[in-house]
Amino acid sequence: MIKFEHVGLRYGVGPEVLTDIDFTLEPGSFHFLTGPSGSGKTSLMTLMYLGRKPTRGLVTMFGQNINQMERDKLATLRQRIGVVFQDFRLLNHLSAFDNVALPLRIAGRPEKEIKDNVDELLEWVGLGEHKNVLPLTMSGGQQQRVAIARAVIARPKLLLADEPTGNLDDEIGFRLMNLFDQLNRMGTTIVIATHNQKIMDEFGHSRLVLDSGTLKIEAPKNWIQKKIEGVF
Amino acid sequence: MNPFKPKKDRRLGVAEGKRQYDLPLNKSIGTGFLVVLIALMTFLAIMALGTSFALGSMTQRWSSGLENKATIEVPAEKNDSDLRTKNEVNALVERVEQKLSDQPYIKSVTALDQGDIQALIEPWLGQGEILDNIPLPGLLSVELQISNESSLAKLTKTLAEIDETIRLDTHESWLGDLLRLTGALQFAAGFVLLIIGFTTVAAVAGAIRTRMAVHNEEVELLHLMGAGDGYITRQLQRHALMIGLKGSLVGLIAGLIVLGLIALIAGDTGAALLPDFHIQLGHIIGMIIVPTLICIIASMAARFTVLRVLAQMP
Ligand SMILES: Nc1ncnc2c1ncn2[C@@H]1O[C@H](COP(=O)(O)OP(=O)(O)OP(=O)(O)O)[C@@H](O)[C@H]1O
Ligand SMILES: [Mg+2]
Repeated sequence: MIKFEHVGLRYGVGPEVLTDIDFTLEPGSFHFLTGPSGSGKTSLMTLMYLGRKPTRGLVTMFGQNINQMERDKLATLRQRIGVVFQDFRLLNHLSAFDNVALPLRIAGRPEKEIKDNVDELLEWVGLGEHKNVLPLTMSGGQQQRVAIARAVIARPKLLLADEPTGNLDDEIGFRLMNLFDQLNRMGTTIVIATHNQKIMDEFGHSRLVLDSGTLKIEAPKNWIQKKIEGVF
Repeated sequence: MNPFKPKKDRRLGVAEGKRQYDLPLNKSIGTGFLVVLIALMTFLAIMALGTSFALGSMTQRWSSGLENKATIEVPAEKNDSDLRTKNEVNALVERVEQKLSDQPYIKSVTALDQGDIQALIEPWLGQGEILDNIPLPGLLSVELQISNESSLAKLTKTLAEIDETIRLDTHESWLGDLLRLTGALQFAAGFVLLIIGFTTVAAVAGAIRTRMAVHNEEVELLHLMGAGDGYITRQLQRHALMIGLKGSLVGLIAGLIVLGLIALIAGDTGAALLPDFHIQLGHIIGMIIVPTLICIIASMAARFTVLRVLAQMP
């Protein structure tokens, strides 16, 4: 699904934020991306959602080298990636409904289908009453849920979420983690950047740990325990 | 409950209702200004085109009306500033008329009545004694079968045989001057149209580039969500087209009203010099083409501007 080989990234003439990143994510896997603030989690996400090209190294997504892809192929590829931005990036002149509907509209889906799907998902994330509300009049947590709904509405093959539960209380946080889990079970590869130890412990997925520009993969702490539960 | 479960019956639906642009274009600053600018451009284009059409039909009327005609003047004075009497002038005129009427290359010849000539200069001299006593030239209007060098040469020769002082005025020189003048004016009108086109392109391209800069975050977001260049371009192109439509329609209506008023005033004063605006099919088509072209120009300018900005995104 995603393969990074000796990838480095620097912003402008600054120092390398990411140095020599090497990893492979299998299709349908679920990962947490963690590391101290400023370690480059968002930067790595940006490379994964094709928001920037790496300054060096090779990035392969969906089996294709993105450096050699044509422009419209890249656009199609981006449509299969759902992103929850750390700063949400909602369109402030559009209602919650229209924000969530955006990926489907870009994909050119019929309006009736859009309406049904968006209404149902907004209901699911607890914003059924707020579908016509503009983002700026919403609380941070509500905006975050709109951003999450927008990222998952088109059932992406890859979901990248940058601190998606940062502004949410544990209950709604877990509810949304379940949403990601459900999506994962339907085949979506998921990477979630988070600091939330509780959530990482509860959902024992493998961890990508970023530290000073390099990445190492840790097996889930309660991985063996989960296996045992699965056997019995 | 699983929100991701595909539901077949939902795929049957069709798009319903209208929605806003994904980009907040309707609320953009400067939209009104651009509409006014395009309205002005269209107005100017309509005026230039109207002028060009009027000049066209004017020259057409003049050249078709005068082409085979010439005026013969029997001067009131002989060579050495001796004056001819009225009777002498009349006699000469009569001789010319007789002589020419049976020449094969002449279609018709008419002597202008002395009364007519008096009427012509009456506005300057007033009625009465002076007019009766003043020596007036004799004038004849001839129409040639064909207006070419040989027939004109024959005519000149025949006139010289009658009297050396008789002058022939073929209109050609002043008509030529007029045609050159109207031609130059029409060229200027065309040039004005060209400038209007360029101004529209520059104004729309500038406005679109500003919008792209102002809404850079939104544009980038759409791009990151997988919106193709076409998807983003269409929105801004449609936006420019709506502005173009609004502006050019206002400009067209204003232009037509003003042209109509000019025609009305010109008709009222009865100024013979101004041609009456005979609306032709070609003119109507031309007037419709102007706003259409402006809309196309606006939309194309928007398109290429957006594509150029988008090309800078990875
Ligand atoms: N657009 C940018 N231009 C220049 N430098 C940047 C840019 N974005 C991030 N950086 C730098 O890259 C480094 C990593 O930033 P990044 O946002 O990826 O960290 P992070 O792990 O997401 O942090 P946090 O946990 O606080 O969100 C930081 O030192 C930051 O200053
Ligand atoms: Mg970050």
